[in-house]
Amino acid sequence: MALPLPPGLTPAEVAFLCEMEMVTVVPRQRLESLALIGGPTQPLRPPHRAPLPLWLALLLKRQRRANILPPPWLLPSSLERILKQETEIDPQGFSSPPPHPYPIRAVPSHTDTISPPFLPSSTADAPPDYLPYHWLELGEILLEACSDDLQEPGRVRTLLRDLREVRMAKMRGSTKDLQGGGVSSLNGVGAMEVSEGRAFIVGVMDGLRKLGSSRETARREREEDEGAGGGGVSDEDEEMGFE
Amino acid sequence: MDDISDILNDVSRDPFAEYDATYASIDRGRLHSGQADLQALTRAWINERGTTELLPWPRDGLIERVTGLVKLQIETVETMTGDMDPKTNFSLIIIQTEVERWKFLIRSYLRARIAKIDKHALYYLSTPTLQERMSEMEVAYATRHQQLLHNHYLSSFLGSFPIQLQNLNDTAGGISMIGGPDEEGAVFVRGLGARGGGDEGVVVHGRSTDADGEVEVARGEVVVARWADVREHVERGEMELV
Repeated sequence: MALPLPPGLTPAEVAFLCEMEMVTVVPRQRLESLALIGGPTQPLRPPHRAPLPLWLALLLKRQRRANILPPPWLLPSSLERILKQETEIDPQGFSSPPPHPYPIRAVPSHTDTISPPFLPSSTADAPPDYLPYHWLELGEILLEACSDDLQEPGRVRTLLRDLREVRMAKMRGSTKDLQGGGVSSLNGVGAMEVSEGRAFIVGVMDGLRKLGSSRETARREREEDEGAGGGGVSDEDEEMGFE
Repeated sequence: MDDISDILNDVSRDPFAEYDATYASIDRGRLHSGQADLQALTRAWINERGTTELLPWPRDGLIERVTGLVKLQIETVETMTGDMDPKTNFSLIIIQTEVERWKFLIRSYLRARIAKIDKHALYYLSTPTLQERMSEMEVAYATRHQQLLHNHYLSSFLGSFPIQLQNLNDTAGGISMIGGPDEEGAVFVRGLGARGGGDEGVVVHGRSTDADGEVEVARGEVVVARWADVREHVERGEMELV
């Protein structure tokens, strides 16, 4: 077997992906720029802050060569606000993801299609009121590796656990609206949540599709007969035609 | 060094000829070319891991280019190893860690593709359009795989069947014997914005049991949909799998 894994990333692969997120570090030692394959790193000059990918920041942290500045959304006060949003203000949907940091301009740019983990959503100047796509992994990794750099790590840990439970309940609840097809939005969902919920959600959708497949084929044939003049027009087009 | 050699062996063409040509022709803005490749490779890997169907092989020489970059970096490491100064030693650890991360990405990407080809070799060989999705190496691999399988079947049981029943790709009675991946399976995708420019989302035509409908998926929004409904958007770069 070349790769005996089902479709979708495993939790370990999601964590690997999360380590590509940029974080802000405060170096304790000088380190010259390194010519990495993914581009040169910024030279480290204490006490100037520098953005680094998380895997490199963790390496420096472990050797006590740098401290990691936690992203603003990982502060207890921000997490509390987000938890309130999740439980009281909008108990149905996930809290919204951070706005895209690079708006689309007239001139096409490489930032137009950029997506996590390459968005700067966990650096020291990230917005404080939104959970980024890799929130759970990043929070857990930082709690594990540098709890001394966090404010009130105990509270952060509790708040992350609360958020996780609230959102898992929402993820489970979202299966109620699933159908055998269509497009169901999970706006604001996190990477680890997708990884955990994938097997179940995909199973429900595929099961419903198979149960309803004869009904769907019958409907399609009927619609084709009715709209024989246009041939393969969608529902919307037909409605427009009758007006 | 042994495990990198099997990846490098996958690439028969000279990576650097293509490397220079690509960099001269494509304007990548201010983004470092290695960073652009990292983002492209990461997306290709997640996409490939996210669906049961084989996706088109990147025709812009991405895989050839990144294997070349990794090879070059390993050579740098080898020349640096002689230097035993503790400061360079630490830089070396960082550089090697990064090389390992790249190697994991490339290997997992290629293995995900081989697993899909193994599963439905005959299907991907059956039409020229489907063959187009594979690299030359993969086509050679799939052909050989199918040959071995067919010979094995012939010698173990197929040989004793009547000759008209020996085909593995019969389409008699309107039913094809060739099994393919489930194109209607549910996938998780993220909208990346419509290719027309502006802030518009991608409009997906979602088919369902009782009704079909057009749904706009905003930039950055994650949705669940049938693979067949979003495939064209993923191939056009308007969406990515997550």
